[in-house]
Amino acid sequence: MDYLYDGSFDGLLTCIYHHYYREAATGIYPVDCYQPNLLSPSMVVETEPALADRVYRAIEEKISSRALETVYHVYISSAPEKENLILGYIRLGFQMGSRVDLYHSHPAVYPVHRLERKVTGEAHRLLGLLRFSDMGRFLYAVMAPDHHVLPLLGDHFADRLPGERWIIHDKRRNLAIIHDGHNRSSCRSPVRSRWYITDFSYRLEEKMPENERQWQRLWQTYFEKVSIESRYNPRLQSRCVPHRYRRYLVEF
Amino acid sequence: MDILTKLGILANAAKYDVSCSSSGVSRKNRGGIGNSKSFGICHTWTSDGRCISLLKILLSNDCIYDCRYCVNRRSNDMPRASFTPRELADLTIQFYRRNYIEGLFLSTAVERSPDYTMEKLIKVLQLLRGEYAFNGYIHVKVIPGADPCLIYQAGLLADRMSVNIEQPTEESLRLLAPQKSLPKMLASMQQLKDEIQAHKEERRRFRHAPRFVPAGQSTQMIIGATADNDLTILRTTQTLYQNYRLKRVYFSAYVPVNQDSHLPALTSSPPLLREHRLYQSDWLMRFYHFRAEEIVDPQHPNLETDIDPKMAWALRHPEFFPLEVNRASYEELLRVPGIGPKSARRIISQRRVAAVSADQLQKLGVVFKRAQYFVTCKGVYPAKQSLDPAAIRRIMVPKPPVTQLSLF
Repeated sequence: MDYLYDGSFDGLLTCIYHHYYREAATGIYPVDCYQPNLLSPSMVVETEPALADRVYRAIEEKISSRALETVYHVYISSAPEKENLILGYIRLGFQMGSRVDLYHSHPAVYPVHRLERKVTGEAHRLLGLLRFSDMGRFLYAVMAPDHHVLPLLGDHFADRLPGERWIIHDKRRNLAIIHDGHNRSSCRSPVRSRWYITDFSYRLEEKMPENERQWQRLWQTYFEKVSIESRYNPRLQSRCVPHRYRRYLVEF
Repeated sequence: MDILTKLGILANAAKYDVSCSSSGVSRKNRGGIGNSKSFGICHTWTSDGRCISLLKILLSNDCIYDCRYCVNRRSNDMPRASFTPRELADLTIQFYRRNYIEGLFLSTAVERSPDYTMEKLIKVLQLLRGEYAFNGYIHVKVIPGADPCLIYQAGLLADRMSVNIEQPTEESLRLLAPQKSLPKMLASMQQLKDEIQAHKEERRRFRHAPRFVPAGQSTQMIIGATADNDLTILRTTQTLYQNYRLKRVYFSAYVPVNQDSHLPALTSSPPLLREHRLYQSDWLMRFYHFRAEEIVDPQHPNLETDIDPKMAWALRHPEFFPLEVNRASYEELLRVPGIGPKSARRIISQRRVAAVSADQLQKLGVVFKRAQYFVTCKGVYPAKQSLDPAAIRRIMVPKPPVTQLSLF
């Protein structure tokens, strides 16, 4: 049976619940990009948070909380068939317990670890490559990452710029983090609740104030001046800053 | 002079400083702006492929010293500029808010006297940490010869401090920087080391005791300006790590900027490959438990340029290999070319659930191309070429580039 889910994390976990308690899954796919085939019947699974929660806690308790993180990181990747990788990984995990992550080169583990590294690697890279512009009333950053890393960036910038209002816009997915930026002393809520992800399709780059361009010029000057001509090495540079990120960088 | 011009001059003057790391200290935001991450974050890479993590800049390039290798030496005719502490603090905060940088790397030429200069540096740090409540990373240079009280004051505000020892031996330093003295620099390093240790001890007892240079101290050496060989350089490096507990020793291939009878000609290019091999050796000492004397010995005091130092060691010690990956200890695995700390740890963790076979090595992160000649997996030797140092060397040495023959 091919299970089809709505694309949410809870939906995916619900499918895994049904894999164990209804009928073994031959595959899990998002409902909007599924191509029906003759060999296996398919079924649209309705997301049930209560069932998802049971799977969530089972992964945490029977495998490890680290494995749960791994599953989430693979879920936010944009790899095709990521759901089936997750299914294979969890199945092995329920057999092996927390030792599953030791078996790095196992065919069910290796692709999962590799994908996780790609996702967390991109998130880490963007911690550095994101560029805010001061739009007057708030800071605004645009990006178009390969994977849906937005949820991994929020806490970092919320801790770093707690007093500012800022928006990080994922242009590829039309989503954004909004951070409201009230003072921490007046707010007792935990860090996590001070930002949220929402649909966002405004184009704000054109509205940049003139004052901001001057700061950008300063940064461009610095960027040029700090490079040593006799060590010129563009190949190394393009390995470190892939060209797909440069569109949104002030200095390129 | 406007900020843009000053920034241009003072960034250009600071570029020969190598260190740009922002790692080694973790600090949460405690009101104000910024935090620090222990893993460090690079923000961009310049066209020479070096990363920009910190705003690396001089407070001033107006120097009283006349070190032969330095662009900013007194006798050079070049535009001079100085920031006021307020200008620089403001620039740092504005860059930081926009996520251009991870913090500040503050260095300076020596104006008037070491103490006067050090005080100016401290003023910038006080502004940032105090008035702007800046929690980001700050690396500050120790001005050689500055008063220990001033160094202490700076250490309470900075995350990392560094004294550049510039040359591996005292003779070379005397030749190239006659106004600097090695004993004075070492005294500053000793002071930093002692204070760092004392404050760490104190924090073990009192949670709110102040931190002193929490990311440790580093230093930098110029490579290729004098005739010192690699053995001397690596021995000095090892001593620095052992006696002064440095976090890093940086090497900087000398870029000819001055015409001088004691220096390489202006037309010579920086010894980049040698610098690279020295860094590889530095890694071997810090992460692979090698000693300087194992990497180079008095008979061969220079590193080979054709092959990396770890491969060179392996080829000099064929009796140590082949190692059975399923039985070798972590220390032994680290000696295999192509296996690093990460892949060694992966091998050891996988061994707890399943034996490692040759076709899995690559998935575990081993560079199979190099490792294949030095290991066995479940008793099987995976390479076609037997463990013959001369033959392996022939395979490993890069082939000269093929050029088309001319018809005429």
